[in-house]
Amino acid sequence: MRINPIVKKDLQVSARSMRLAWGLFGYEAILAIAFLLAMMVIREESRSLYGSGNIYNSMVYLFPVIGISQLCIIALITPIITASSISGEKERQTFDVMLTTAMSPFSIVFGKVTSAVVRIMFYVLGSLPIMALSFIVGGLGWSTLFLYLLTVLLLAVFSGSIGIFCSSICRKSITAVILSFVFYFVVYGMTFLPLLLRFILGYNDAGESLLALLWNPGAFFEEYFMITMTGESLISTEMLRKDDVGAITYWFMERNIWVYVSAGCILVLTILFMLMAAWKVNPMHSSGGRKPGKKKKEN
Amino acid sequence: MLKINDLTKNYGSFTAVNHLSLHIPEGELFGFVGPNGAGKTTTIRIVCGLLKASGGTVEIGGSKAALGTKEMKRMIGYVPDFFGVYDNLKVKEYMDLYGSMYSMNSKEIAKLSDDLLELVNLTDKKEFYVDTLSRGMKQRLCVARALLHNPRLLILDEPNSGLDPRARVEMKELLKNLHSMGKTIIISSHILSELSEMCSSIGIMDHGKLVTAGNMDTIMQGIMGDVSGGKKIHIRISAGMEAAVRMMKEYPNVVVESVRENELIIGYQATDEEISALIGRLIQSQVVLTGFYQEEGNLESLFMQLTGGEEA
Ligand SMILES: Nc1ncnc2c1ncn2[C@@H]1O[C@H](COP(=O)(O)OP(=O)(O)OP(=O)(O)O)[C@@H](O)[C@H]1O
Ligand SMILES: [Mg+2]
Repeated sequence: MRINPIVKKDLQVSARSMRLAWGLFGYEAILAIAFLLAMMVIREESRSLYGSGNIYNSMVYLFPVIGISQLCIIALITPIITASSISGEKERQTFDVMLTTAMSPFSIVFGKVTSAVVRIMFYVLGSLPIMALSFIVGGLGWSTLFLYLLTVLLLAVFSGSIGIFCSSICRKSITAVILSFVFYFVVYGMTFLPLLLRFILGYNDAGESLLALLWNPGAFFEEYFMITMTGESLISTEMLRKDDVGAITYWFMERNIWVYVSAGCILVLTILFMLMAAWKVNPMHSSGGRKPGKKKKEN
Repeated sequence: MLKINDLTKNYGSFTAVNHLSLHIPEGELFGFVGPNGAGKTTTIRIVCGLLKASGGTVEIGGSKAALGTKEMKRMIGYVPDFFGVYDNLKVKEYMDLYGSMYSMNSKEIAKLSDDLLELVNLTDKKEFYVDTLSRGMKQRLCVARALLHNPRLLILDEPNSGLDPRARVEMKELLKNLHSMGKTIIISSHILSELSEMCSSIGIMDHGKLVTAGNMDTIMQGIMGDVSGGKKIHIRISAGMEAAVRMMKEYPNVVVESVRENELIIGYQATDEEISALIGRLIQSQVVLTGFYQEEGNLESLFMQLTGGEEA
């Protein structure tokens, strides 16, 4: 397979700018702080009355602490990178030429998301040594680490696709960035809507309304960490009884397949966002075109 | 090569391109002229698949495929009026980037881009960062880039805007060169005289409509005969201006167009012999005549006339 030209170019260009170096530095610094804090808590706890007294066993908690901090940073950075990608090309006046080449709108969008995700994965790989501590001494299996990397990838692609969609409908990068965070909350909030409606309508069970949470990346990660750390689903524990939720929801929980279904749903949403971005980027799908207000030429 | 039929573009209630029909044969260097806001850029962007037309059809190289499809895009090399370049990218990487966007392999790209950079005289800048190049160099680089995939049609939107006279000459030479290699080229400008020296045919556009189009020579001849006031002759006079003006006013078929401190401009409907005779008479009188020249076929005035006298 041929490497997408945009990915190659973006990596080339960003490797030469100081932004990559500073980004990596900042990222590692934040993770290091999270690491130190976690270590402190772990030490205190293992010494306390109820602690195991064995600091090595407690190392396993490094995983959720660092894992979650990492996810938060990624959820924050990726949309910023992709939101400024297409609008950035527009601002730099390089986008028209790109559109006249043989690149299809979808491969442009896909290339932009991929290049952001690849850069994010650089950061993530840099954090692996710290993460590995909880695997080596904490007793977590390597498959967990692999699965974790997959979930990171999923989150990066998902938030990247929200960013790229906003980038495709905005002319200014800054608007696109703001809009993608608004979109984040909209997507997030919408997943609670069915549950809210159900309670407003006077039901006192959740029914199948929790299924909307399949599209909620937050719920996905909570469930994911819950299962990884305890082997049990978030909801099937004492929190809810069988009659409180609908049969399908319960089945997903009981079988521990919620995360997989949720991952699938989020992936579908991701592809949808990218397709919409490709649609918006294609000049043949809008009659507007470039707005006036271009520079006056001196002649 | 390019057949535009009944092309229309509306922005809301405003019509930027109004039922434009145009046919440009293969191998032509076509000048697309019109005042600001005539609709040149709009037309070009439609042809390049960057803008959706409101109506009409465009045929490129005999293909009737929809604009914006890969097949159509591969036939066009486009140099926009305003364009940017990436920071932190070297000239050869720039060529490489666009080559790979046409799925060319790196060997092909390397060879072609060497040839093209040679053609646009940028070989020694290969290792330079693109954003450090001068405006004229960027412009030429953009031409090289547009030629990379060997398009059948090269379209340049005001390639001369923002260039100094020297860079303009270089650009002109480059385009003439490409034309002699058999490329079909469309170049837009709002300065007619700039195009008259290199184009083989021109089209003049105004208010979204094609005012006139055709072979350069035919149009030039039309101008020579047509323009009211005839040929324009500038005469430099260092002394005896008043006498000269008096004399010209009495002369048949001569219109005095303007009188400056030591220059007299007249319009004269006459043959070359008659003009020569007139100059001879001026010299024989007591007028001190230091120079004279005839304005090259007065394109600008034709342009003004055709486009309703608006600023060009
Ligand atoms: N996106 C747009 N929305 C509304 N009107 C537009 C838009 N783009 C162009 N126009 C109008 O269409 C007309 C034609 O513009 P166009 O840019 O094609 O002119 P032009 O011939 O290229 O002029 P110039 O010599 O200034 O480049 C102008 O009156 C312009 O205001
Ligand atoms: Mg224009």
